[in-house]
Amino acid sequence: MGLLDSEAGKRRLLTVEVPVIERYNEGRDPDYKIVLVRQAGSLLMRYRLKPTHNIYQLETRLMSSYPAVPPETRVVTPLRHCPHLLEGQTMCLWRQGSSRHTSRWDPARFTCVFAVQAAWRWLACYEIWHQTGEWPLPEAK
Amino acid sequence: MAHLIQVGAGSGGMPVLDLVCRDPRIHQVTLIEPDIYKPHNVVRHLFPPSGIGEPKAELAEQWLKQIRPELDVRVLNSDLLDPAHAADIDTACATADIGICAADNEQAKLHWDGLMRRHRVPWTLGEVLSGGIGGFVHWFVPGGPCYGCVASHLQRSVTVDKPATPDYSQPGGATPEVTIPASKASIAVIAALHAHLTLELLADRAAFNPGFTSLLLTMQRVRDVFDEAYRPFRFRITRSAECLMCRPGQDGTTSGGTHGATSAPEDLDVALDQALARLGNPGNA
Repeated sequence: MGLLDSEAGKRRLLTVEVPVIERYNEGRDPDYKIVLVRQAGSLLMRYRLKPTHNIYQLETRLMSSYPAVPPETRVVTPLRHCPHLLEGQTMCLWRQGSSRHTSRWDPARFTCVFAVQAAWRWLACYEIWHQTGEWPLPEAK
Repeated sequence: MAHLIQVGAGSGGMPVLDLVCRDPRIHQVTLIEPDIYKPHNVVRHLFPPSGIGEPKAELAEQWLKQIRPELDVRVLNSDLLDPAHAADIDTACATADIGICAADNEQAKLHWDGLMRRHRVPWTLGEVLSGGIGGFVHWFVPGGPCYGCVASHLQRSVTVDKPATPDYSQPGGATPEVTIPASKASIAVIAALHAHLTLELLADRAAFNPGFTSLLLTMQRVRDVFDEAYRPFRFRITRSAECLMCRPGQDGTTSGGTHGATSAPEDLDVALDQALARLGNPGNA
């Protein structure tokens, strides 16, 4: 029962996710707007982020089981191997039972744009790690 | 006379079903359960070893018929989330008086919550914590907090007990445990609480108020988690106005702005196609 083929999924998209993406895009430079495309049973958000010096191309996938299952974000721009980076340049952003509340995906409070903000934070950490060798956020337990 | 609809007849769901269905007010049961009874289930399940290899839904039907031959039992041998059975499940929900969720994953719980809200069916949920160190029981009624409100409020950092993942490299082989399993005794304690709560809710669906919406019962003292064993914690969780799962527009019963949830399903498709066309090329928006 998926995001794009169930009534509940479509209502979530139309009343929650689409409006927040439109708000995010409003007035933003066209190069940095979120582009939303349908891909099989899931939705793919394509966007660019510039946390400090560099520009990164990213993809956040809202799977068929979204929002029960958290969105998955990968960095398309090649990165150096670093902490909190999973296979396929997928960012490690969520963990059930994490001691940091923003790392526990909460479908009742978070939208897909929260995932974009989490990706921004992750990339800011990456750039600091790149310069200093230390990941600036303390390890969540 | 009441129609009970339940999802899940595993080691936690089956004892709840057994206890609730002994009540003479229950005259009809719809059970949704896709799994087959496996050798590793035997140690914590009500079913005998002779049932191995049979669908749990059918074993549950036989079990209930032995106790109450007159009970109208209907089983849906399917996954709650399977689109192929969505219409059958929806039809069954429409006539249900009370629901029980004994599913073990968040996706199923959230989906069940949406179904129950759409059909305005009061329902209950039981959760045994990993290792059987304690468990939760929750109850939900139309207009009250949804499962999203409750899960978001509780922000549980201990994980709910889940069965071991099957070893796909040797189908049918022994399945190693990947989490600390709850004992049958721990499961039975929470199942009994869950069944009792369900029957009390059934008795007074309009004004039920036991003084909590979620009850946590600890069963073990665990350092940094529970200071005491056998201690109840009562949570009164209110509906969150900001909850993205149950705010107006999500359940098809209340208006939700531009794409109000009162829209017909075909209108939703048109609106979604338009939104995707707009966001697929935001430069033109």
